[in-house]
Amino acid sequence: MNRISPRQLFFFLACVAPVGKIVLLPARLAEFAKNDLIFPAAVHFLVQALLVFCVLLLVKCGKSFYELLEDTFGKIAAKIVICLFALFLLFAALLPLLEQKLFVQSVFYDTLPSLVAFSPFFLFAAFLCAKPLAGFGRVWDVLAPIAIAGMAGVLLLSVGSADYAALLPVGAGKAGFFEALRTAASWFFDSALLLPLLGKIDYEKGIAWKGTLCYLAGAAVALFFLATFYGVFAETSVNQLFAFTKTSKYFSGITVLGRIDYLFIFALALVMAFYCAMPVQACVECVNEAFGRRPYLPTLLSVAFAAILFTLSVLLDYRFGEVLFAVTGALVWVYPVFTVLVPALSLLLRRDHAK
Amino acid sequence: MKNVSKDLAKTTEALKKLLPAEDILTFSFRSEKTAFTCVFADPVTDKELLGEQVIRPLSRFAGEPKAEEVGRHITSPEMKKVRALDELAQEILAGNPAVLWEGMDEAIVTGTKKVFTRAIAEPSTDVAVKGPREGFIEDMKTNTSLIRRRFKTGELRIETAEVGRRSRTSVAVCYLDGTAEREVVDEVRAKLGEIDIDIVPDSSYLTHFLSSRPYSLVKQVGTTEKPDIFCAKLAEGRVGLIVDGSPIALTVPYLLIEDFQSSEDYFVPPYRATFTRLLRLFALLVAIYLPAFYVAAQLFKLQLFPVRLLLTIAGSIRDIPFSPSLEMLLVLLVLEVLNEASIRMPKYVGMALSVVGALVLGETAVSAGFVSTPAIIIIAFSGIGLYAVPNLIEQTSVLRLAMLLVAGSVGTYGIILLTAFCFLYLVTTENFRTPLFAPFSPLIGKDLRDSVIKYNLGSLPTRPKVLKSPNKRRLK
Amino acid sequence: MQSRFLKTIPMKLYVLLAAVVIFAFFSNDFGLVDIQKTAIILAVGIDRAGDGYSLTTQIAVPKGSDRTTGGTSSVEIETKGATVSDCLTELEAVTGWVPKLVFCNLVVLGEDAAKEDAFAALNYFLRNEYMPDSCLIAACEGKAGELISSQSAIDDASSLAITKLFSDASVKSGATLPNSLKDFAIDHYGASESGYLPYLRAIRQEGEQQAAGGSQGGGGGEQTPQNIYTAQETALFSKGKLVDVLPPEQTFALSLLQGNVFSGTFSAEEKGEPVTLTVLEDDGGASLSMDGGPSVKLSLRVKVRLCCRGLAAPIEDVASDVVPQEVLESAERVLSESVGALFERSRAAGCDVFFLRRSLYRSSLRRYAEWKDDLLPAIVPHIETKVVSMH
Repeated sequence: MNRISPRQLFFFLACVAPVGKIVLLPARLAEFAKNDLIFPAAVHFLVQALLVFCVLLLVKCGKSFYELLEDTFGKIAAKIVICLFALFLLFAALLPLLEQKLFVQSVFYDTLPSLVAFSPFFLFAAFLCAKPLAGFGRVWDVLAPIAIAGMAGVLLLSVGSADYAALLPVGAGKAGFFEALRTAASWFFDSALLLPLLGKIDYEKGIAWKGTLCYLAGAAVALFFLATFYGVFAETSVNQLFAFTKTSKYFSGITVLGRIDYLFIFALALVMAFYCAMPVQACVECVNEAFGRRPYLPTLLSVAFAAILFTLSVLLDYRFGEVLFAVTGALVWVYPVFTVLVPALSLLLRRDHAK
Repeated sequence: MKNVSKDLAKTTEALKKLLPAEDILTFSFRSEKTAFTCVFADPVTDKELLGEQVIRPLSRFAGEPKAEEVGRHITSPEMKKVRALDELAQEILAGNPAVLWEGMDEAIVTGTKKVFTRAIAEPSTDVAVKGPREGFIEDMKTNTSLIRRRFKTGELRIETAEVGRRSRTSVAVCYLDGTAEREVVDEVRAKLGEIDIDIVPDSSYLTHFLSSRPYSLVKQVGTTEKPDIFCAKLAEGRVGLIVDGSPIALTVPYLLIEDFQSSEDYFVPPYRATFTRLLRLFALLVAIYLPAFYVAAQLFKLQLFPVRLLLTIAGSIRDIPFSPSLEMLLVLLVLEVLNEASIRMPKYVGMALSVVGALVLGETAVSAGFVSTPAIIIIAFSGIGLYAVPNLIEQTSVLRLAMLLVAGSVGTYGIILLTAFCFLYLVTTENFRTPLFAPFSPLIGKDLRDSVIKYNLGSLPTRPKVLKSPNKRRLK
Repeated sequence: MQSRFLKTIPMKLYVLLAAVVIFAFFSNDFGLVDIQKTAIILAVGIDRAGDGYSLTTQIAVPKGSDRTTGGTSSVEIETKGATVSDCLTELEAVTGWVPKLVFCNLVVLGEDAAKEDAFAALNYFLRNEYMPDSCLIAACEGKAGELISSQSAIDDASSLAITKLFSDASVKSGATLPNSLKDFAIDHYGASESGYLPYLRAIRQEGEQQAAGGSQGGGGGEQTPQNIYTAQETALFSKGKLVDVLPPEQTFALSLLQGNVFSGTFSAEEKGEPVTLTVLEDDGGASLSMDGGPSVKLSLRVKVRLCCRGLAAPIEDVASDVVPQEVLESAERVLSESVGALFERSRAAGCDVFFLRRSLYRSSLRRYAEWKDDLLPAIVPHIETKVVSMH
C-alpha cells in the first residue's frame, strides 16, 4: 500500500502527466508559435524525458529525496533545500489550479458560477493530500484507463474535423518559438513531481529507460493532440481556451446524439482533478519527511496548503491573466531552476549507502 | 462450588442456582443401583431423544457408577464428560442435557439438542436460472453439511468458535487448508477472539468486527446465501464464516468485483457472462449517476441535453412547483419509502401498495403537476438499475442520494469530485491486507480475466493472485 | 479518551460535510440560472441599425406538459445596441430572461451587416465561450431580422426550417454550401482572407395563409404570410466583407469542385432539348502551380447517369441510364462554363474562394511573400472537365 510499483509509475508518466498539457497550453503555444506549436512542446517533453530518466536512475538506491540531500549536505541544508523545493511545488500548483478553475467554470456551467462551485476541489485536495503519497500509485492504476479512454475518445471524435495541412508550412512560427518555449515552461514540471516519490518506488531493472519511454509515449499523444488541435482550429487556435473540450464537438454524430463528447471530457476532468492536486501532495510529502513524519502532520499540512490555495484562488479570482503573465513572464525562471537544475543535479547526490 | 461433586443433591442444587430460569428442568430416576438426574433446558432439548437415548438405557443400568460405564450405556453419538459447573450450565443452555449421578464428580453431556430447521430452499435474494438452487438456512450444522457435501477432502477445515458473551453463538470458520492464506485464517481467528459483545443474532453483526474501516459505507466482507458460491469462494482461497442462526454466510477477503459476479456467470458461455457483467456495471452506474446528471444538467449545464430533449423537459417542468433538485429528491424519497414499505408489508398488501405507488403516486402526481414525467422516468430507470447488483443496494442507494445532493448543490463538477473521492477511498481501502478494488487497483492482469469480463474456464488455470493463495493452480 | 476523539474526527468531518452539502442543496444559487429564467436562443439575425446593431433572437418557448400538438414554439425579439453584446444585454433587460447561446445553431447576417464587415458583427460570438462555433452561419437578402421573424410554411420556427436547407442531403445535392462560424472564421483569419456563406432568401408563398401571433401557433390574430427559404446562392466574402453573390449554377460548380456532390442534378442539352443528369461520383479540385507563373488547374471528373429527358421516349430508352456521348459533351460544356464563370466572378470580386493563397502559403513561405498580393490578378486558370456515363 505504501509502495509505488513501477507499473503504476509508468501509468502516471504515460497517461496522467500529459493530461495537464491539453487545457490552456495549446492556445498559448499557438499564440506564439502558431502552426509550429508542436515544436516548443516537443522540446519541453524531450528535456523532461531526459530529466525523468535522471530522477529514475536514483530509484535503485532506495533513498528518498530528503535522505539523499541529508546524506550529501547534512540535516540543516537538506531541510532548507527541501523546504524551498516544497515552496516551488506549491507555486507550481497555482497555475494548473487556476487553469482548472477556469476550465470548470467554463465547461461545467452554462453561466459563470460563483467561486463556491469550485471550492469543493479544495476539500478533495485536502483529503487527497492527507493520504500517503504512495497511495497515488493505486490511483494511477485507475486513472490510466480512464485517461486513455478519455484521450482516445476526444482524439477519435476530433481527427475527422482536423485539417493537418494547417500545420504547414513548417517554420512559419519560428519568430515566436523562443517565446513559446519560455511560456510553456510553466506547464512542464513532471520530473520535479517525481523527486518526492523517490524512496517509495519499487525498483525493477531498466526502470529509468522504461519510465522515460512511457513518458515519451504520453508526450507523443499530447503532441498528436496539439497537431489535431491546430488542424481543427488553424488560425483561430489562439482563441480556443480549454483545448481538449473544444476539438471533439464538431463530430457529426453530436447533432443526433447530443454532446456525447462530454463523456470523454468528464473522464479527463476526473484525471485532471488528481493531477492538479499532485504538486500539493508532493509538497506535503516533502515537508512531512523533512519534519520527521509526525502522526497528524500530513493532515494538518494538507488542510493548510489547501486553505492557502483556496485563499489565493479567491484573491486571484478575476486575475488569471495577470497570474499567467507573471508566472510565464517575470517568474518563469523559477521553473528551469526546480524542474531542470534540481532533477539534473540530484544525480550528483551521494547514493553510496544503499538501503 | 465450581465443579460437579459426588453428592448428587448438592450438584443439582448448585446447577439450579446457576440456572434459575423456569424452563430449566430436572428429571430424576433410579436404576438398580444408581440414582440419576437429568438437567435440561426444556425449549431446546429434544425430550423424545433424551428419553430414547439416555433415560431408557440408564434406567436399566446395573454396572459400576463410573463415567466410562455410564457412557457406554448412553446411545447418543454425541457425548462428552464435563467437570466444571459453568461449562455444564452453558451446555444445558445450548440444548445438551447434563446427566448427573450419585457418587461421581463428573457429568455427561449428551447431544440431544432440539433442532428447529426450515427446509433448504432457494434464497430469494440470489436466484439463479441455471445452477444449484440450494440456499443456506439458519442451522449451522445443516449449512456446514451443505459445504462438506461439496468438498470430499480432508483439506476442508471447519473450526468452531463461540462469539457473544450471552448468546454464545457458534461460528464456523471454514477454509481449505493449503489454499487459504494462513495469515488470513489467523487474522480471522484473532478478530473473532477479540469480539466482545453480548449477543450475535446474525452474521451481519460480525461484519463490523471483521472490517478494517467499520464506519465505512463501503462493504468489506462478502456475503452469500448460496453454498455453491460459498464453496467457490473457499476454493479461490477465501475464508468463510457461518454463523449459527443466520442464513447469510460471510467470506473474507472481499473484493468489490465479487458482487458483479453471479453464480450463473459460471454456468453460461463466457460471452454471455461478460455481457451480463458489463450490463450490471452499466445498470449500477445508471442507478447512481442518472438522477444526479439529470439535475445537474437542468440546473447548471443545459448543454448536456440535445436541444429537442431540452425543450421537451422544459415543457414538462414548466408548471412544477419545485426546483428540479427538490423535485428529484422528493421522487427519490417516495421511491425509497415505497420500496421499504413494500418489502416489510405482507405480500397481499405489498401488491396493493405497488399499484398505489405506480398508479396513484406516479400518474396522479404527474397529472396534478406535482412532479414531471421525466423525473419519474429517471427515477424508474435508476430504481431498476439499482437491483441489477442486489448485494450492493445498501451502498449504492446511499451513494445515489449523495450524488444527487452534490449535483443539486454544485452541479456536474461536484459529481466528478465525488467520483474522484470515491475512487480514492476505494483504492485505499484494504481488508485482510487485500485491496478492495483489485484487480483494477492494484492492477492484476491475470485476475482481470474473471472481473468485469469473464474468460473461459480453461483460461483461468490459477486462483486469483490478489488472494495470495499458497496453492496457486486450480487447473492442472 | 483523546485517541477515541481523534479516531472519530473523520466521521465528524463527514457529518459536517454532509450538513454543508444538504444546506447548499436546499439553498443553492451558485450562479444558477433556472431553466425557466433562461432564453434558449435558437437563432440570431444581425443587422446594422445606424451606427450600431439590431439583433433579432429567436427564442424557444417550451410547451406545457400537455404536448399533444408537438413541435417547437418560439418568439422573436428584436433589440438594438452599439454592439451585439449590448443587444443581448438589452434582451435580458426587456424580457428578464438570461440569454443562453449554447443552443444557437444559426446566425444570419443581414445584407448591410455582411457588406460592412461580417467579423465586426461576429466578434462577440467568436469571443463567447458559451457560443458553439459549430453553429451554421449564413448571409441573407435584406434584413436578417425580417428573415428570422418570418413565418415558415414548413416548420414552427423559421430557424428550424432554414437549418433543414443545410442538411447533409442538401450538401450532397450540391444545392447549397453551408458553413459554420468556426470554418468561416478560419477562412477569414487564414492567408486567403476570404470565405463564403450560403445566401438566404425568403420566398413568400402566395395564397397560403395561417392565423398566427409571432411564430407561435394557435389563437386568432392578423394574417401572416408564410415563407419558404432558399440557400442556393452563395455569398462571397473578402476581408470580411460581402463582395458578390454566386448564382445557383456557380454554387453547384463550387460544390462539385469541392468534391461534395453525390446525388445532385444538373441540366445539359440533347438536340436542343434539356436533359437532367444525376451526379454519382464527383472528384473535383483546384491545384495551384507556380512553375512559369501562377496557374490553377480547376479539374472536375464527374460520373453521371441519365435522370430525365425533356422528350418522350420509347420504353427501352427509359429503361436505360446510359448517357449518350452528345449529352456528355454538352454536360462538359455546361460545367466548364460554370466553373470558368465562377472563377472569373470570384477573381473580379477579390475573393479567393479556392483558397489559393492559403495553398501557396502552406507550400512555400518565400513564394507566398512574393505573390500574396498579386496572386489572384495574375493567376491563369486551366479548366479540365470530364463527364462520364455510369456504364
